[in-house]
Amino acid sequence: MTIKVGDEFPQVQLKYIPFNKENPDACTSPQVLDTKKDFAGKKVAVIGVPGAFSPTCSVKHLPAYVTKINEIKAKGVDLVVCVSGNDFFVMSAWGKEEGVQGNIIMAGDANGELGRATGLSLDLSKVAMGPVRLTRFLVIVDNGKVTHLSVEPDPTDVTVTGADNLLAAL
Amino acid sequence: MAIKVGDTIPESTLSYAPYNPEHPDACSLPQLLKTHEAFKGKKVVLFAVPGAFTPTCSENHMPEYVKDVADIKSKGVDIVACIASNDAFVMDAWGKTYNVKDNILMLSDANGEFGSAMGLVNDGTKNRMGPIRLARFAMIIDDLKVVYLGVEPGRDVTVSGAPAVEAKL
Repeated sequence: MTIKVGDEFPQVQLKYIPFNKENPDACTSPQVLDTKKDFAGKKVAVIGVPGAFSPTCSVKHLPAYVTKINEIKAKGVDLVVCVSGNDFFVMSAWGKEEGVQGNIIMAGDANGELGRATGLSLDLSKVAMGPVRLTRFLVIVDNGKVTHLSVEPDPTDVTVTGADNLLAAL
Repeated sequence: MAIKVGDTIPESTLSYAPYNPEHPDACSLPQLLKTHEAFKGKKVVLFAVPGAFTPTCSENHMPEYVKDVADIKSKGVDIVACIASNDAFVMDAWGKTYNVKDNILMLSDANGEFGSAMGLVNDGTKNRMGPIRLARFAMIIDDLKVVYLGVEPGRDVTVSGAPAVEAKL
């Protein structure tokens, strides 16, 4: 069952490696992001991507969020989370390469918990990428409630889940 | 039941992003690789890591192989491959950080098929690393038969490191 606008965003624990301003190359201790506790009272944009370091995600999807992060936050978004089926070490490395600098939480859903809880998972075993990956989506969660959901009809493209789509929806 | 010396490696489908010498920085489209077809008649050194971009793998395991790959190949090894449960895009990106080019084949077992068939996987769910992660090991495979297997007992790199493998060649 897939989540829809009006639903409570499911409670899942994801892991991420916080950005260390003083030592940006350091691999700091992973933290847990609880999608209920840490989203409470906040406006959060959650961006789902099929794969870190993959062409569409790296070229067409994440970069626009990095460059427009200030605009996004100026429109009242407290937290921007990018999540994929990769683990949090991979997400941290990808974030470093894309110049995220702590402005976006790069979370890993390697256990497939978020994918299963939201119904937004994608089986990529046919292309040898694993059975429980996330599809490409954009969710706005306002104080725990889903107020916007767009899912890319073709996960290899970015049409309704990009940074401009988010700005238009805010 | 874990694979052992003398066994034939399982037939599995893995993936990798081929190196393109004309566009070395490009991320090429991942290709599938069938183990029996790719390794038949060849001598292969295969080392497995629990995770690309993780501390032990990146600092203590991978670098030794990057440094010694030419020596290893000079001892009659046709293919040196690194394998993990990460997908082919991640393996490609990680390999690029070491400038491996096509000296080390960066393989992905993201479906968990190969590791599970050999009994060399661990459940990483407690650490949020997913239910099927390859253990740390190194293998010498000769025409599909395992002739050396070093599965790391602890968190260090000992029997699965490049020096341990080279001593067996």
